[in-house]
Amino acid sequence: MAEVKPDYTLDMRGEVCPVPDVETRRKLKTMKSGEILEVLIDYPLSKERIPANAPKEGGEVLSIEETGPSEWRIVIKKK
Amino acid sequence: MQGTLIGGLIVGLLFGFLLQRSRMCFNSAIRDVRYFKDNWLWKQGLMAIAVETIGFQLMAALGAIKLNPSAFIPAAQIVGGFAFGMGMVLAGGCASGVTYRIGEGNAVAIIAATFYALFAGAARNGKLKSITALFGKPITVTMENPGVYAAKDGQVAPTVANLLGIDPWIVAIVFALIIFAYLFFTKTSQRKAPMHWTVGGILIGLVGMLGYWSQQTYSLGITGGWINLFTATLTDAPYNWIGMEVFGIIIGAFISALIFKEFKIRFPKDPKAYAYAVIGGALMGWGAGVAGGCNIGHFLSGVPHLAISSLLATAFFILGNWFMYWLLYGRD
Repeated sequence: MAEVKPDYTLDMRGEVCPVPDVETRRKLKTMKSGEILEVLIDYPLSKERIPANAPKEGGEVLSIEETGPSEWRIVIKKK
Repeated sequence: MQGTLIGGLIVGLLFGFLLQRSRMCFNSAIRDVRYFKDNWLWKQGLMAIAVETIGFQLMAALGAIKLNPSAFIPAAQIVGGFAFGMGMVLAGGCASGVTYRIGEGNAVAIIAATFYALFAGAARNGKLKSITALFGKPITVTMENPGVYAAKDGQVAPTVANLLGIDPWIVAIVFALIIFAYLFFTKTSQRKAPMHWTVGGILIGLVGMLGYWSQQTYSLGITGGWINLFTATLTDAPYNWIGMEVFGIIIGAFISALIFKEFKIRFPKDPKAYAYAVIGGALMGWGAGVAGGCNIGHFLSGVPHLAISSLLATAFFILGNWFMYWLLYGRD
């Protein structure tokens, strides 16, 4: 897919449970429609839970890619 | 394999591997169901409990084990339970959660587990023992014919069945049916997890049964194991089954994380996380030491006994968790 340029980046690598999920949710709440958020994480549970819960804050998950050893980049668009 | 160190190690390896694969953390489960409206892990935990409820009863009926519900000390389970519940939010994981995440390379989990072990040991056998004693003595039920229960001088810790004088089988079946009704007739959150919650729950339940058969005195636990690892290392006390089980959990999770490429040494950038891990680990350890068990000893292993102690402690684990989550993250 075409590379989308994020409006915001949350680097949540290293953070403990549930900080990546909570910060993603907080950020999504404040974003305007059409804006893009990129979340960098290295916590396996959050890789599955953030995409599952983003729609509740109006987030549409555009992509989840592995960027390194146990590191992922989740791109979310606010609808 | 019964009561032996190798038995504890094998059960721990299986449990650790499974915890890592299924992401089974009770801190997450309890929080997600309320604050994220996400019941995936919660249902996985309850599935394991339903399997064990029937499984333990069956094993006891077949004479493979004696049911050994945990000691009931109301004030201890209320205060210790609430402290434990608050502690797991600060520590970023429950007792089993921080233990398996050490195997994933989580630096904060190592700090939390160390303080967990220190404070649980102090509350149970050490310098904080006198405070633990203030919560009172266990309340027991006198049973002339203890049947499936392990009795000490005719005394058994109270369960729903022995308190009401009902056949434990009936209580177990009704409880399991209620759980199944909730699991399969309510809406379940979806997620792309490596293991479906039904599969994870059933496998955890089976490991719980294997653990009970192997240890004989009880099913899975974390608190006693951490205390044993420290005590046996620092004094001439011997290592025991549950110490080896906890060691096995760390190694099992490490193997799983390596195989599935999820091992990474992780350090939070926020310095606050380290302070939280120390305070949370200590609070959680003290709480479990006082309450007589953690989310595994009381929640996963104790609730299937329908032990009053475990039901009460679990209720306060949940309340403590929700309170601390609200305090830290929930007020926006």
